[in-house]
Amino acid sequence: MARDKIYSEEIFPSPFMQHWQIFRKTPVAMLGFSCFIFLIVLAIFGPILAPHSPVEGQLDMLLLPPAWHVDGDISYLLGTDELGRDMLSRLMYGTSLTFGLSFIVVVISLVIGVVIGSLSALTTGLKSSFLNHFLDVILSIPSLLLAIIIVAILGPGISNTVWAVVIVLIPQFVHITRYAVKEESRKDYVLASRLDGASPFRILYYSIFPNIIDRIMSQATMAQSAAILDIATLGFLGLGAQIPLPEWGASLANGLDLFYIAPWTVYLPGLAILFAVVATNLVGEGIRHALKLRKER
Amino acid sequence: MLVFTFRRLNLFLFTMLVLTLLSFSLSFLFPGDAIINVSGAVNATPTQLLSIRAAYQSDENLFWQYIAYLQHIANGELGISMASQSQISTEILNLLPATIELSLVALVIAMFVGIPLGFIAAIKHNKPADNIILSVSMLGYSIPVFWLGLLAILTFSINFGWLPSAGQISLLFEIELITGIQFIDILLSDSPYKWQAFGDATAHIILPACVIAVAPATIFIRLARTSMIEVLGTSYIRAARSKGLTFQQIIFRHAIRNALIKIIRHVGLQFANLVTIAMVTEVIFSWPGIGRWLIESIYQRDYTAIQSGLLVLSCFIFVVHILTDFIYAALNPLARGKKHGS
Amino acid sequence: MNNIKLTLIVCLASLLTLGCSDESILSLSEHSVIYCAEGSPETFNPQLVTSGTTIDATSNQLYNRLITYHGKDNALTPALAKSWHVTRDGKKITFYLRKDVAFHQTDYFSATRFLNADDVVFSFNRILNPQHPFHRVSGGSYPFFQNIALSALVEQVEKINDYTIRFHLAHADNSFLANLATDYAIILSAEYGDQLVEQKLKANIDTHPIGTGPFKLKEYRVGSVIRFYRHEQYWQPPAQIEQLVFDITPSNTGRLTKLLAKECDISAYPIAHEKIKQREDLTLEAVTALNVGYFGFNVTKPPFNNKLVRQALSYAINKKVLLEAVYQGKAELANTVLPNSSWAYDKTLARQEFNPALAKSLLEVAGYSQGFSMDLWAMPVQRPYNPNAITMAKLIQSDLKNIGIKVKIVSYEWNTFLHRLKLGEHQSFLLGWSADHPDPDNFFSPMLSCSATHTGSNRTFWCNETYDDIIQKALQTTNISQRKKYYAQAMKLLAQELPLIPIAHSKRYQARVNSIKGDVLAPFGGISFYQISKTSLLGNKNQVNEVNQNNLLDPGED
Repeated sequence: MARDKIYSEEIFPSPFMQHWQIFRKTPVAMLGFSCFIFLIVLAIFGPILAPHSPVEGQLDMLLLPPAWHVDGDISYLLGTDELGRDMLSRLMYGTSLTFGLSFIVVVISLVIGVVIGSLSALTTGLKSSFLNHFLDVILSIPSLLLAIIIVAILGPGISNTVWAVVIVLIPQFVHITRYAVKEESRKDYVLASRLDGASPFRILYYSIFPNIIDRIMSQATMAQSAAILDIATLGFLGLGAQIPLPEWGASLANGLDLFYIAPWTVYLPGLAILFAVVATNLVGEGIRHALKLRKER
Repeated sequence: MLVFTFRRLNLFLFTMLVLTLLSFSLSFLFPGDAIINVSGAVNATPTQLLSIRAAYQSDENLFWQYIAYLQHIANGELGISMASQSQISTEILNLLPATIELSLVALVIAMFVGIPLGFIAAIKHNKPADNIILSVSMLGYSIPVFWLGLLAILTFSINFGWLPSAGQISLLFEIELITGIQFIDILLSDSPYKWQAFGDATAHIILPACVIAVAPATIFIRLARTSMIEVLGTSYIRAARSKGLTFQQIIFRHAIRNALIKIIRHVGLQFANLVTIAMVTEVIFSWPGIGRWLIESIYQRDYTAIQSGLLVLSCFIFVVHILTDFIYAALNPLARGKKHGS
Repeated sequence: MNNIKLTLIVCLASLLTLGCSDESILSLSEHSVIYCAEGSPETFNPQLVTSGTTIDATSNQLYNRLITYHGKDNALTPALAKSWHVTRDGKKITFYLRKDVAFHQTDYFSATRFLNADDVVFSFNRILNPQHPFHRVSGGSYPFFQNIALSALVEQVEKINDYTIRFHLAHADNSFLANLATDYAIILSAEYGDQLVEQKLKANIDTHPIGTGPFKLKEYRVGSVIRFYRHEQYWQPPAQIEQLVFDITPSNTGRLTKLLAKECDISAYPIAHEKIKQREDLTLEAVTALNVGYFGFNVTKPPFNNKLVRQALSYAINKKVLLEAVYQGKAELANTVLPNSSWAYDKTLARQEFNPALAKSLLEVAGYSQGFSMDLWAMPVQRPYNPNAITMAKLIQSDLKNIGIKVKIVSYEWNTFLHRLKLGEHQSFLLGWSADHPDPDNFFSPMLSCSATHTGSNRTFWCNETYDDIIQKALQTTNISQRKKYYAQAMKLLAQELPLIPIAHSKRYQARVNSIKGDVLAPFGGISFYQISKTSLLGNKNQVNEVNQNNLLDPGED
């Protein structure tokens, strides 16, 4: 599209838009992004679109193989499990549990983490040093172990899992925000607005945030893939979603006893988890790639 | 180095304080009587309970209770398991070595596979080889470990029948528990089938160790790649190149050494990650380690075991963390002066 | 020196190829059998328990009884007693012992004498006499014997001479001999008991067992492995395998995987029967076992203290579906606790129907028109009477949802599960009962009598005096048709009161590698490894083992 170049400096895009423009030119990242959007849509509308109930089974349709198999049935596209529950519907409902919940978890911990992180970036001295040490201790414990610890305290269950993962992810966001804010505030443009007399919160909001949002986004994708894996792993271990919720990890654990006679009950939830994590990671890679290119400009 | 040691010691003490406080507060957070949670004496008679109460000073204020708790830990008294009524300290001593053994083997595999691949990717930066290695590594850290473990068992144990699927060693071999680390125990034992047992134990550890190693290996690939690319861009490499050294000389004499130092720093953090993955893998491969035991305890709501198990495991992870920091500092003088956390 | 080098080379080579195939390992695995068990035993003394897992691991391996069952018609046959005699009034029973029975020789005990009457008196007095030095050891609870009220029945166990023992009974009892032949009535060593008293290690009698059985305990690691060695001085020909290893694998898939990967030779309670049948190197076997799987209520806890609620639930559960999904249609629908193959079964008993509408109206009458929420405890392990309690619980969950009851499924590790049931922490539970002997009383007394509420084997805590009275009368009469009438009354009472809903009578399954020969399963009681052998080791010595092959039914054929 032809564009008048004369006033180009007047529509100088924001850092976020710059980022997006680089991002959309990377085909692999866009592929991951469309899968990500697809999963979000499925997480919201999956329960409406699902052809069957995920908890109540058809007792005359036990252990039906997927439709492409000779014994398969087209109305049960991905087969059924030992209670005659449609695998496709269970996976669709599972999307809102595993993927949807992990997305919500990331959003909550992002908001809390960024607020704490930016506030703490403004503090100095003993408080700051204590926080540093504390974050070091927490961050040195792997997220899954920490989640297991918290679930051990709260007791098994899907809502407890969600809280556990939120608590686990917050320190990561605090750390990255704090680090990024400190780094940015040493730069000249921040100094300039400080000399203009802007309050620290104004600087934070108008000057620093637009410039660190991509880094936080990149951390968010990492957090999202960790959250999916943590929720699924806890579900698999029987510490997360309880019977009969179709959470992917729990479905996989449920299929374990059928592994040798109905392998699709194990393959499919595993593939679903893999798909969701790969899609998330592709988006993350794309963001980091764009970040690098933007810095190099 | 003295300042560095002092600073680490400080951090260590601080962490221990946080961890023991956390563990101490767990007994109040868990449902039920705190004193029973901390001691595990679910079947105690009233008189026994009185003496336990006295030992933990539960009539005093929280500070003295905490001190009493610390004294118990220092004496190695972690209470008894609510489920099996056996000493938790001995159970942990039997199980922790198995986890350490598995994690170490996995760490070695991850490093020996991951780091060279990362270097190759860095040397072939932006070429097809780099892209392939990167894509494979992304798949590696996206795959859920429990699923990977199941697929590995199905493929290598059932379909091909190459490797055993469960346990540390075939139960036919009678190996006495001495250190808990299977390989050392085998070498110490006087069984006539010692060397067969050794071979069998090796066959048993390969599959779980490889499954655990996948995720850390991909991280090592990325670390190695980034640090190599960084090193290759430094001025001393350029100087070496302008001196007319061959490519191999540059890589093997200069680049690898400097790139490795940066990776070692992350080994500690990766080891923690690896132990967590090992916990899940132990469940799938029925490995008699602390992870399986801990998860089992959570199922059974065995609060005493959870509390003590978590304390020991997180202390262990932190000790490894600090040890690698020391190794890093010993190898890299630049790190010693650096302020921590900045 | 050369030898050591040679071994080293061999081993390095085997390390490289990862498969050790030299001769010594072959002989080790030829002489050993690995059994994948479903859970760990609570103790090594079957007197103290009723759990099948413990019985499987201990009774027939470590111990012998005075008499035992044999053959297809389950006739009583001599074991440690070479013969016995019952007086006409049925109140004095005399046993004549074998003189050549040796106890185990282990690291912790070496016997100086053969089995004699002292050992028998010691073993039974431990149960009967509260003053016995070992009575209170390990909790002092002998559930099986307390259920049948043995201490009220046996007045005295008298030593006539070194090899003769006489039981004095208070009254004649039809099931007494049958009870002595069960897996619980084992004989301990009195000499070992004396040694432990001296060493002040009394509790060791149940953790470091000494018996007369075909195997002796070598090593036990809690929750992972039990290792037995052959008892070389066994009073019958010694077992053909030298080492027996119980690999404790609670996970169903874990056991199947180990079996498929040939990491165990025999697997308890296999899942995925189709898969095993497909494999030519594996055999699936089944034996018709006398058992019942049920859905029980804790009648001391609301809302199940209300009979109407229990009845409502019984109408709400679709047993046919449970049978199809959980037992793959390979079990019989249970109408009452007693299997219909038993002679005492009452064919006129009304069938329990599936009627959710009736269930709902019953709930309304009971005052629960809004429904309620409840905990359902499902066993974590496979048992012969219930191959998959969790799946069953899920189905019951969806059945009960239809009448407005919310079910939360709870499960613990097996021993914890049993322990907590005994304490009565549950609201409702899925469990079952496997018969210890063919007498019908074994279904009525231990499961539902008042005395069984104290021992913890009646987990419904249902205690009904009329019922107790009926089954006591049934025990004391010798007239078969009269006994049958009493049991019919008892079953009718159960159908009205419903402390538990019987679900199925199932077979007991087991899978093994083809090279293992010999019987392991029995129609009731625990398993026995005495008769098994590996074919690669023995060419023609097999005849001993093929005695009871007709007991094994191929599940494909029926």
